[in-house]
Amino acid sequence: MELVSLSTVVAWLTYSAFLSLMALGITLLYRTTKVANFAHASFVTIGAYVTYTLTVAFSSNPYVGVPVAFILVGIISLLLFYAVLEPLRRRNASTVLLMIATLAIDVMLTGFINIHADYLTNAYRVPSRNILLSGSDFRYIGQPGILFVALGTLAICAAAIYLLLNFTTLGIALRASMENPQLAEAIGINVSMMLAISWFIGGGLAGIAGALIPLWTEVNPSIGTILLASMFCASIVGGLEQIYGAVLGGLVLGLVDVIGTTVLASIIGPWVAFYEPVIPLLVLSAILIFAPRGLAGINLRRGKQ
Amino acid sequence: MVLFIVDLLALFAVYLVINIGLNIQQGITGIPNFGILFAVAGGAYITAGLSTRLTLALLGIQTNLNPVSDNVSVLQLVNPILRSQPIIAISLFILFLMIGGAAGAAMGLISSAPAIRLREDYLAITLLAFGEILNIVGQGYTPLIGGPPGVNLPDVLAWAGEYRFYAGSFVLLLVAIAIFAVADYIIKTPFGRTLKAIRDNETVARALGKSITQYRTVSILIGSTLCGIAGSLWVIYSGAITPTLARFDWTFLPWLMILLGGMGSNRGTFVGTLIFVTLDKLIIYYKYTFVGILPFDIIWLNYLLLGLIAILILIYRPEGIVRETQIKQRPSPESKKFSQG
Amino acid sequence: MEILQVSSVKRAFGNLRALDGVNLKVDDKTVTILIGPNGSGKTTLLNVITGFQKPDAGHIHYRSTEITGLSPQEIYRAGIARTFQIPAMFGKLTALENLLVAEKNHPGESFTKSLVKRLWIKHEKDAIEKASKILELLGLTEQSDKLASLLSGGQMKLVEIGRALMSDANLYLLDEPVSGVNPTLAHEIFARILGLREKYGITFFIVEHRLDIALQYVDYVNAMASGRLIAAGPPKEVISDPKVIEAYLGA
Repeated sequence: MELVSLSTVVAWLTYSAFLSLMALGITLLYRTTKVANFAHASFVTIGAYVTYTLTVAFSSNPYVGVPVAFILVGIISLLLFYAVLEPLRRRNASTVLLMIATLAIDVMLTGFINIHADYLTNAYRVPSRNILLSGSDFRYIGQPGILFVALGTLAICAAAIYLLLNFTTLGIALRASMENPQLAEAIGINVSMMLAISWFIGGGLAGIAGALIPLWTEVNPSIGTILLASMFCASIVGGLEQIYGAVLGGLVLGLVDVIGTTVLASIIGPWVAFYEPVIPLLVLSAILIFAPRGLAGINLRRGKQ
Repeated sequence: MVLFIVDLLALFAVYLVINIGLNIQQGITGIPNFGILFAVAGGAYITAGLSTRLTLALLGIQTNLNPVSDNVSVLQLVNPILRSQPIIAISLFILFLMIGGAAGAAMGLISSAPAIRLREDYLAITLLAFGEILNIVGQGYTPLIGGPPGVNLPDVLAWAGEYRFYAGSFVLLLVAIAIFAVADYIIKTPFGRTLKAIRDNETVARALGKSITQYRTVSILIGSTLCGIAGSLWVIYSGAITPTLARFDWTFLPWLMILLGGMGSNRGTFVGTLIFVTLDKLIIYYKYTFVGILPFDIIWLNYLLLGLIAILILIYRPEGIVRETQIKQRPSPESKKFSQG
Repeated sequence: MEILQVSSVKRAFGNLRALDGVNLKVDDKTVTILIGPNGSGKTTLLNVITGFQKPDAGHIHYRSTEITGLSPQEIYRAGIARTFQIPAMFGKLTALENLLVAEKNHPGESFTKSLVKRLWIKHEKDAIEKASKILELLGLTEQSDKLASLLSGGQMKLVEIGRALMSDANLYLLDEPVSGVNPTLAHEIFARILGLREKYGITFFIVEHRLDIALQYVDYVNAMASGRLIAAGPPKEVISDPKVIEAYLGA
């Protein structure tokens, strides 16, 4: 079938890898702190600029940004948890207040990101908007290296989380804090610290995803915001309560988005591509209305039961 | 300086209407609408898109020019006529507001579909995502408002001549205060009381015979209509629009304002909006004094400061400035007699 | 005459059979209580009767009309009111307003009608008067304008009952109306319930544990255990029924 070419499949898999990485962090944070983290958008963007800054300042290989971003964004996320989320949690803040908090954090971080971007331009005389590093990417069997790195990173991260949660003492403590914080507290687990660690990991995951983005698509200080709807959609499609559902969600959404757009564009016309950003929203709405249990069968609905 | 105050009042008016709309949804009914941008943009873009066409129709002008793509030329034709026909201009103004309201209501109707089904957090995410749709449509579907460059609107305030902005500001304030008064009334009715009951305890409200779906839908419709009207007011005052209404300005800031003022209280919304808009404008007005001091562009100061303020309010004073007004109901004289007996 | 008839109602939650074929009737204009050890299905039965849960099988009739599976709103409108075990207040409304919300068919609650004050102000005034009288009956006049979230536990219980009374219902289902309430007040509440039955012919079906207090006020007792009705009749009969004693001791 000529509608779907190899390059489309490559695009799908690459996009999905990113979505899954981002959704993984969102779902982890949702499971632990019961809040939809709107600041994830900024976390991702920071990761992207870490990579770019390193290439600009140290002429490094773009992939070097990945571990650096993991640590940096992880730390930022951790600090923000202690500064903002934890005080609110201790005050029993409602879901809505927590969401406003993450939105406010996102706003602040956006400010910082832009300031940094301006700084890069002034200090290094380089553009800091519309950056694309795919030109420096390697190629393997005729395909862009990012495809393999993204998928590989996703596999490593998912495996690492799996091992952590199921085979380490820390992981068990983390899961206990997720399932039943009161009980965990009662048996001596420092729930607050567990949540902080999960924020470190969740933020770190966003950082990793962000660090790889410049090799895939154009980066602006608003890249995270642009991808926000998609990353949440991927999380929800996979079922926000199942951490590994995020991987599935990323794959499914990526499929619908990329392949869907390509197929529609060839049938209806190229102008369809303009409306691509609407697709995650349509998928989101469809899932929430027709299969409200998400792919993992969790009740998203209001009210009793 | 005077123009500064005029602009401030206009901005205040627009935000007041939006915030009242948001407060009715979130503060009164407990619906976390993080997607009010959807309704505001609906009002703004659809009003702008239809404005020139309607003006041509009302003035009975036939032309081969396209009201959107040949926008500038058409307006050169139309504006002078409007300047000399205040009655038609004012009728158009009212018509534009109605369109804005209708557009907002339509967006609200779409938003209500998830709102009656989803839990808070999922709802917030979904509505936030909805917000961006119209920007995408506005940029891609050129016949609406001409794509990225946007369009201008027929100047329905042209009759005020050089006092155009003063008149605009005054009219906007009038509309905003009227809406404030109506909202105040509505909140105090048994209808408003039922919205609050649903917010406070949905299960019991259901047990008492209230149709939750109906009330939530009406609440969203009211709130979204107001947001749409605000969008309309904004484009009329500005005279032009591009499909770039930002979530920061039209979703985050309204939330910050009602948080500051006190969610649930209509008066609080007024206070929060006034304080915020004034401070914000002052910062922008005096930003040049900051230019040398701060090592970065002052545009971003807004983001840093406001994000921080929001967080501080959330941690230290989440109930805001004005506590929710108690509706005092006095027992009727007969009952009073009874209890004394 | 029976005002409520529950026939062979079953309801299971997974493997747990909360209601395992309940057959029960409540006579009109009586004060009937439902007793049973924890987990016998009492609250589930109330939930099923009032539409918060649907039964898996069986029928419920209210004055010979079938009400099985109706929504809570429809049940309320049909003339059945209920209270909740844990008082559920509208926290940011006053005690008086809490009662006002319970008013049925209030024109002011419709958005369109609310815009024209003339259409609803009379009904509102009447409702306020009714609510004030009820609050007075329950000794809560001084708390009329107090925010419900600031009331004491006992006061909340009373508001809960007051709210039910606003509905002018014929059948009141009360879920542990005096749990956690001091004995003096508990007696007062039951005395008032009795008074209302005398004066207005209202039927009360009450889930209650405090037999020491409640027993003297009731006409009939229904006893449940393990999702079934095991005894029904006048108080003295039921509490000396060996099956009932066993259910309580065995629990």
